[in-house]
Amino acid sequence: MNKFLILLFGTSLLLGSCIEIIDDLSINMDGSGVFKYTINLSSSKIKVNSILALDSFNGKKVPKIEEIETKIGEFKLLLEKEKGINSVQTEFNKVDFIVKISVNFSRIDDLQTGIKSVIVQLDPSSNIHQEESTWIGWDAKTLQRIVPKIIEERIKADTQTDDELLKMGSYTCISRLPKSIQHSSNPQCKLNPAKTAAMLRVNTFDMKLNPGLLEHSLTLSP
Amino acid sequence: MLFLSIGFYLIVRGQGAEKLIPPQAVTVFSINNTDLLQKVSIDEWITYDFMEEIHQELFDKSTDNKTVKDAGLDFDKRLSLFYGKTSSYELTGFTFGIKDQSALFKVFDDFEEVPSNFPGVNVYQSLFNNLLIDQNNGLLIRVEPTESFLNQQTDSLWYDRGNLSPFYSMDEDEYMEEEELELEDAQKSLLEKNYFELRDSLQFEFQKKYYAEVLNSLLVQKKSLYSNDSTFRELLTHASAGVFYLDNSRNIDRSKNLWYLKTVLPSLYLDVQELYEGNIITGDLILKESAIQFDLKAAYSEPLGSIYSEMNRAKFDKNIAPFIRANQPAYFSYTINLQSAYEKAFEVLVPILSKAKDPEISFNLLMLKLGNALVNKEALFDAYKGSLFVTFNGIQKVKTRKITFFYDEQTFEYGERETEAEEDMPIFTLGFSTRRQDIPEMILEHLSQVTSKFEKKSDYWIYQKAIFDAAPVFLINAKGMFLLTNDQDLAENHREGYGTEALSKRTIANLKKSGTIAGYANLQEVALKFPSDFLEPSQRQLMEFLRNKTGSITIKSGKTTLSSTSLHVNYLYNDAEKSGKHFLDLLNTLYLLTK
Repeated sequence: MNKFLILLFGTSLLLGSCIEIIDDLSINMDGSGVFKYTINLSSSKIKVNSILALDSFNGKKVPKIEEIETKIGEFKLLLEKEKGINSVQTEFNKVDFIVKISVNFSRIDDLQTGIKSVIVQLDPSSNIHQEESTWIGWDAKTLQRIVPKIIEERIKADTQTDDELLKMGSYTCISRLPKSIQHSSNPQCKLNPAKTAAMLRVNTFDMKLNPGLLEHSLTLSP
Repeated sequence: MLFLSIGFYLIVRGQGAEKLIPPQAVTVFSINNTDLLQKVSIDEWITYDFMEEIHQELFDKSTDNKTVKDAGLDFDKRLSLFYGKTSSYELTGFTFGIKDQSALFKVFDDFEEVPSNFPGVNVYQSLFNNLLIDQNNGLLIRVEPTESFLNQQTDSLWYDRGNLSPFYSMDEDEYMEEEELELEDAQKSLLEKNYFELRDSLQFEFQKKYYAEVLNSLLVQKKSLYSNDSTFRELLTHASAGVFYLDNSRNIDRSKNLWYLKTVLPSLYLDVQELYEGNIITGDLILKESAIQFDLKAAYSEPLGSIYSEMNRAKFDKNIAPFIRANQPAYFSYTINLQSAYEKAFEVLVPILSKAKDPEISFNLLMLKLGNALVNKEALFDAYKGSLFVTFNGIQKVKTRKITFFYDEQTFEYGERETEAEEDMPIFTLGFSTRRQDIPEMILEHLSQVTSKFEKKSDYWIYQKAIFDAAPVFLINAKGMFLLTNDQDLAENHREGYGTEALSKRTIANLKKSGTIAGYANLQEVALKFPSDFLEPSQRQLMEFLRNKTGSITIKSGKTTLSSTSLHVNYLYNDAEKSGKHFLDLLNTLYLLTK
């Protein structure tokens, strides 16, 4: 998914910006569910607009707004054709730079394979490895989530963004499960009162220092 | 005999390498003998953009730990870099004196001698460059057809042969079956070049043609920039560390703007061209202790000079001074007498335009004359007198709006809300003086009726979300000034000026002496505060030059006469021991600005 973000915006727009990401997964017992991904760059509106006004930034081509819109449209069309994907909705707020994607899937594997396939179709040169495209694991008892390698590497390599800006950015991982959660492997993970949802939120600065902060597994009650 | 020998020796010694600069050169930087430059290592020299053309020769281990002095160059002679462009080719290179040829070829170790058609001149070639040695003078030169000319010629030949667009053919291939492609290949004549092969062949041929043309004028007809141009000859007698020459009358990029006149109205073109006759810009780079002074002089024809003289008949506008803070990282002011310049330009240009027999020009001339007769010029030039200033106020946090997500603690569902945010932004102020404050006010009133983004706040205006649909711009119409700024502090607290924080009386007195142009930049502050990421690559190179520099640059214009005007730039730095490096930095900046 994150490879897609980079494909979508180009690294240039993500570099040096205060970014907020919400990674929201609802899963049913049969493995079907809804995956929602939101990227919010509105805190760096001036910076993003300034970068968009350029042809290139730090030696990389800067996509035009229309190109971003086209890529989102292509992504939607291609993902809808993938096996096990029922419905794809996309939304792009080009004033505040917020992109929202919502995908209904039959199985977790279909979701991850579908996204990987679309990324390769959109960018045949993308060298996406199997392990990079698997960031969610589900066996009807336990849900496992990690930070995809590509975003981990991206944040580590980002020397452009100052620490203050990184501290203001965040990555929020929400998991909604069909039964109550008995155990969470990560003490930072917050459960809702009904224990059917978990939320783990870290700022991008901490994530840069320790990408493992977002790793967690949630075990359902028997 | 002895006198004859001494005389001959002096002639040979006196013949500087600069006489090998081809007459086609338009820009020249000539560096005088200086100990400072000899100490700069070759590896440092080749980091400069003006050395780009010969990088290929120098990027190898043969230059490790060597200075320019070790390269066999003769520092009793000038080192001159030149650049020229015609409508069909570009030439770049440099000339230098040679003290030790064997040492020179240890650096230029990729060159091989080729037969010479020019008596007394040895010719050497490498993959990219040509080296000519005439006695103890060297000329390193590269001549290339311009890309636009080469493309035009290739297209012309390509389509004349009945070919389709080369890009169209490539697209077509995608839809052809393997067998069809094989058949097409089998039918294709192997002797027939594809588009890019044709282009390469033409490039090679044009390169040979224009290289021969340049050398023929230089070595057979004995025409050089030195022999052709008395201004250049005089410039080389200056004892300054470096001199700069730009013949703007032969500047092809400027000529491009006149192409319509040249092709459609040749007689009018000649009249207009006459205006630019003798438009040569020369400069001296003078090395001082902890400073480099750059004195620039622009010479022009008398008609153009008469317009410039009127235009520059203006003094620093004292209304500007209260709006420049003493500790501003950079500021620049430009003061001209617009009304006088307009009247003189009208007087000079109308007779020239009147000669044109073209109906369109004739109609435009009538409009110009009617405008001159009917428009209230007094009101026009009172609204904008011709003095403006720009300041860079550093980086400030500006208020913007952002979308934040809020979460329901029971379900972790989330929603959006708009909140206030702050972002770093470079702050600028642009202002001009006006005697007619009612005119900008009338325009702003009108705009506020058209869009709600224009909002009146007591005695100033805000244009909301003016910058990138996020940050506001403030418009202040007070004290005989009209200011546009994104500096909230200026708009809210200093609409009458900065008071005691403004420029000192001494600085103002100096600025008053500056004439038309005055400017100041604290290099380190500008380099550190200016967000150079957002600049184009060429502009970024200039900012890179400023990084890690301490000191300041001041700029002021000098006297304007009917034949010339002058400009003085003073670069003050703190680390005097690196004078040579600073000098080359400044030279490189000028090269980038003028190329």
